[in-house]
Amino acid sequence: MEFGAVFRSLTFPQIFNFNKKPAEEEEEEEDEDLSDSEDSVFSGLEDSGSDSEDEEEEGSNDKEDGDDEGLKTGPEESEQVEFYVCVSRVFRVQLFSDVVVPVQDIRNTVGNIPMEWYRDFPHIGYDLDGKKIYKPIRNKDELDEFLDKMENPDYWRTVHDKQTGSDIVLSDEQVELVNRLQRGQFGDVNFNEYQPQVEFFSGDLMVHPVSNRPADKRSFIPSLIEKEKVSKLVHAIKMGWIKPRRQDDDSRGRYYDLWTNEDSSILAKHRMHLPAPKIPLPGHHESYNPPPEYLFTDEERALWEQQDLSDRKFPFVPQRFSSLRQVPAFPRFIHERFERCLDLYLCPRQRKMRVNVNPEDLIPKLPKPKDLQPFPTTQSLVYRGHSGLVRSISVSPSGQWLASGSDDGSVRFWEVRSSRCMKTVQVGGAVRSVAWNPNPSVCLLAVALDSVVLILSPSLADRQVVSSSERLLSGQQEEEPAEGVGPVTWSEGEGEELNQGIRLKIQHPKAVHQVAWHAKGDYLASVMPDHSSHLQVFIHQVSRRRSQNPFRKNKGLVQCVSFHPVRPYFFVATQRSVRIYNLVKQEMTKKLQANSKWISSMAVHPGGDHVVCGSYDCRLSWFDLDLSTKPYKMLRHHKKAVRGVAYHRLYPLFASASDDGSVIVCHGTVYNDLLQNPLIVPVKVLRGHVITHDLGVLDVTFHPTQPWIFSSGSDATIRLFT
Amino acid sequence: MSQLQARFFTENKRYVVDDVPFSIPAGAEVLDLSNVINKLLEAKNASHSKVEFDFLVRGQFLRTSLSTHMETEGISTEDVVEIEYVERITAPEPEECMMHDDWISSVDADAEWILTGSYDKTARIWSVEGKAVMTVAGHTDVVKDVAWVKRDGLTSLLLTASLDQTVLLWEWNSERNKVKARHCCRGHTGSVDTVATDPTGSKFCSGSWDKMLKIWSAVPTDEADEVEEPADRPRKKQKTQQLGLTRTPLMTLSGHNEAVSSVLWCDSEELCSASWDHTIRVWDVETGGMKTTLTGSKVFNCISYSPLCRRLASGSTDRHIRLWDPRTKDGSLVLLSLTSHTGWVTAVKWAPSHEHQLVSGSLDNLVKLWDTRSCKAPLYDLAAHEDKVFCVDWTESGLMLSGGADNKLYTYRYSACQTDAGA
Repeated sequence: MEFGAVFRSLTFPQIFNFNKKPAEEEEEEEDEDLSDSEDSVFSGLEDSGSDSEDEEEEGSNDKEDGDDEGLKTGPEESEQVEFYVCVSRVFRVQLFSDVVVPVQDIRNTVGNIPMEWYRDFPHIGYDLDGKKIYKPIRNKDELDEFLDKMENPDYWRTVHDKQTGSDIVLSDEQVELVNRLQRGQFGDVNFNEYQPQVEFFSGDLMVHPVSNRPADKRSFIPSLIEKEKVSKLVHAIKMGWIKPRRQDDDSRGRYYDLWTNEDSSILAKHRMHLPAPKIPLPGHHESYNPPPEYLFTDEERALWEQQDLSDRKFPFVPQRFSSLRQVPAFPRFIHERFERCLDLYLCPRQRKMRVNVNPEDLIPKLPKPKDLQPFPTTQSLVYRGHSGLVRSISVSPSGQWLASGSDDGSVRFWEVRSSRCMKTVQVGGAVRSVAWNPNPSVCLLAVALDSVVLILSPSLADRQVVSSSERLLSGQQEEEPAEGVGPVTWSEGEGEELNQGIRLKIQHPKAVHQVAWHAKGDYLASVMPDHSSHLQVFIHQVSRRRSQNPFRKNKGLVQCVSFHPVRPYFFVATQRSVRIYNLVKQEMTKKLQANSKWISSMAVHPGGDHVVCGSYDCRLSWFDLDLSTKPYKMLRHHKKAVRGVAYHRLYPLFASASDDGSVIVCHGTVYNDLLQNPLIVPVKVLRGHVITHDLGVLDVTFHPTQPWIFSSGSDATIRLFT
Repeated sequence: MSQLQARFFTENKRYVVDDVPFSIPAGAEVLDLSNVINKLLEAKNASHSKVEFDFLVRGQFLRTSLSTHMETEGISTEDVVEIEYVERITAPEPEECMMHDDWISSVDADAEWILTGSYDKTARIWSVEGKAVMTVAGHTDVVKDVAWVKRDGLTSLLLTASLDQTVLLWEWNSERNKVKARHCCRGHTGSVDTVATDPTGSKFCSGSWDKMLKIWSAVPTDEADEVEEPADRPRKKQKTQQLGLTRTPLMTLSGHNEAVSSVLWCDSEELCSASWDHTIRVWDVETGGMKTTLTGSKVFNCISYSPLCRRLASGSTDRHIRLWDPRTKDGSLVLLSLTSHTGWVTAVKWAPSHEHQLVSGSLDNLVKLWDTRSCKAPLYDLAAHEDKVFCVDWTESGLMLSGGADNKLYTYRYSACQTDAGA
């Protein structure tokens, strides 16, 4: 027996010692007890009757209870016991809260009555079958009670159930529950008495009203009381009883605008003002208490010390001080200020004038090639048959036939639509130039080979046309030239030549490079380039078999000539310029300066006011005769020498052929309006010819009626692009 | 892969399947669909043998996968797709190759005989089996076009148009195999590029480089029309006497601004001509007036008219074959263009018994068989020629012919589906 324990339990009856571990068997017993009660819950009262041990214990407990009351008369004590019972019930309920259990102990059916009423009976109530429940037989006396108190370690947690008369040893949980209740806490450990508050009225705007109560009538009826008050105030103001508050004028100028009287001229002077660059704001390194990562490690510090002053990242070492008070004065302060001032003073600050120009804007607005159709785009036909490079081609005015002259010594006539070679004329020499008579009522072809110009009648047209061309050729018969010994001799084709269609031969003193017809088809010009002689150009009149040299002086190597399509002008292209002669007045009217080194070819616009020249230095120059003697436009699209240029008779198209194997077709609209410049748009690069012997496309000409282009190349083919 | 609801139907009674929607994968192609139909037919009829089918979705041949086709055609994939199927048209089989001495400019064939014009200044008559029967020589220049006028019994009338500006009307006796120039039609002042006989066989029309169309009588007579111009050259006189009696045109239709490239008769009162001036003109033969002008943007090389679908097909230099309705009033509406050639289209010909099919020849050496329900790709490419193709023809007996610059005339046997022909 431990006296101390008794004392403790007596003096602090309400304090349960939780550290005290119950003995194992006691626990078991308690478990049994609990399980008993559980059983009883589930299996009705059968057990309670048969469980004599329990009954006994309860009985003894009961007895003890009664004695207790007598002995200690601790009102708290007895209350406490009562309370225990109550708790045990509650607890039972709580334990089996998942099963619906009546609060009352079902082993005894007497109900919630004072048990004193059964003090004098041998039983304490009735079970469900109506049988008496007898009091436990064994009755504890005071001594037993005391011994029990002294020896039973669970005595402090044993409670007496009055209704059954049994003693119940409370489990730890039950004790804990009792403790909590005594402390005024909730029985359930998990119950949170401080739930987060849900505000009924909150600052949030809600979709639905808190209450759907209609607004009060008073909320929309003007308040009579307020009206009365307002009318009283109005009356008072009217009567002068109330005076408005005096406005405090701020004329003394507590605040004033510093810049109101600023002279605008001063501002204008500083329009180009550049603000001084700002010192960067201090960072964490400058802090008196920088984060540890900003502090230098040993290596960093060593590095910093090694570095040159100008190479250092900071001019100081980040340092840590426990308080701002301990930061020493910055030794380099004066120095730093001075450097800053020096920077501001010496730094050249001027605004860079930058012009932002979009490169796209610099390109002139040209229409899209798609909108400028029709123009030739694809290769359609290839005319094969020549064995040498085809130097020159020409299309008949009807557009049905194509004539070509080649280095293989033949002139071929092709049907345009089928690429069929209809006729081959062997002329016995490299053909430099062919030109179809532009007059549709005759069918003649001029061919330049070596020093001879041949006039061919291919007889590919209507009989009447053929006969009229025969007439044209034979018309001179009657007037035989008087001056027989000119530089040029005319002769007729004979024998086999006649069968081939060679009607006339014009023998020149030198090699003829080019022939060109006048639009009427009677005059023919031939070119014999020569540096040293003035005999470079001849103009022949076919119908009268007359030739004349229009020029008395050598003005340079003549490259090509052309007649004006409508007016009596004659274009002569020398190496660097184009001279325009008036054939009627016998004088030069204009001299066009092509900004190129060596003109190779020239074409006159069917309107007659524009000339395009190609040159061996890859350039194409367009002259507007009404505008200037300088080129209106230079086109440098070709990579190599330009060999041929051509205008279309009807469509606003012109083309250039080059040694780089390409033909470039350009759209060139000219306007009748003198103020409007021609519109020149490159629209298509046509490729197809194979470059052989460094020569590409040698000649180019347009179909007279369709937007088609023929090109002849050094690969012995002629190609039609449509 | 998503699925599509499709319902199959056909006009052909032999291959009818149940009219219920099927769910087929959207990526299905012609072969897959064909397999589906074959499976269905086998299920219905055990004796069914496999047939290749072609499929039409809203009147367009299926050439890609079903989903891509419907996407490009803008057909909703939500609804049940109606898919028509027809027996696949078998490829034309090459039959004969007839060698000429020179380029072949034109061909006209009927059930028995083939007439070709050549650049060697002659026309030739061949049997369908490929036997050279007759050479018709007489022109002084390239023969540009040929046409049968009439074939009754043993004597036939035929026309040859030439670059020498004349059209010759020949009479050919097939039994004695004799050909005789009956008339020399003079009047054109340019190469006569095209000639066409009217449906009754009593008149013909010629188109020339001189921009004129001339209508002539095709009935041979025994007296010559008087020639206005005095025959100043005895040489020419001789030639005229050699080549039959001179004939002058009944009517001259002028209106084209450029060379006439092709002419045909829509019916006995209506004439249609294509020209290099980018127009197709429809003429009234009775009055000699122009009825309609169809304006294109490129030179027309050839036209063909199908009375079955009443459409005009034109081949032009921009590689497209265009279909026109010659009866439109405004006359500038292209119904459809068939695009696959890479060169000028030099010849087109409608199928005589099928309203959707036509054949075309081009300078890209290809002859193509088209179905107008598949305008992006032809049904078949016939790549027999080694050079430019200048002429194609299609006889009612299902023979296709093409000739060109490789001096060869190819014939192809083409068995058009009998069931499809009436569709």
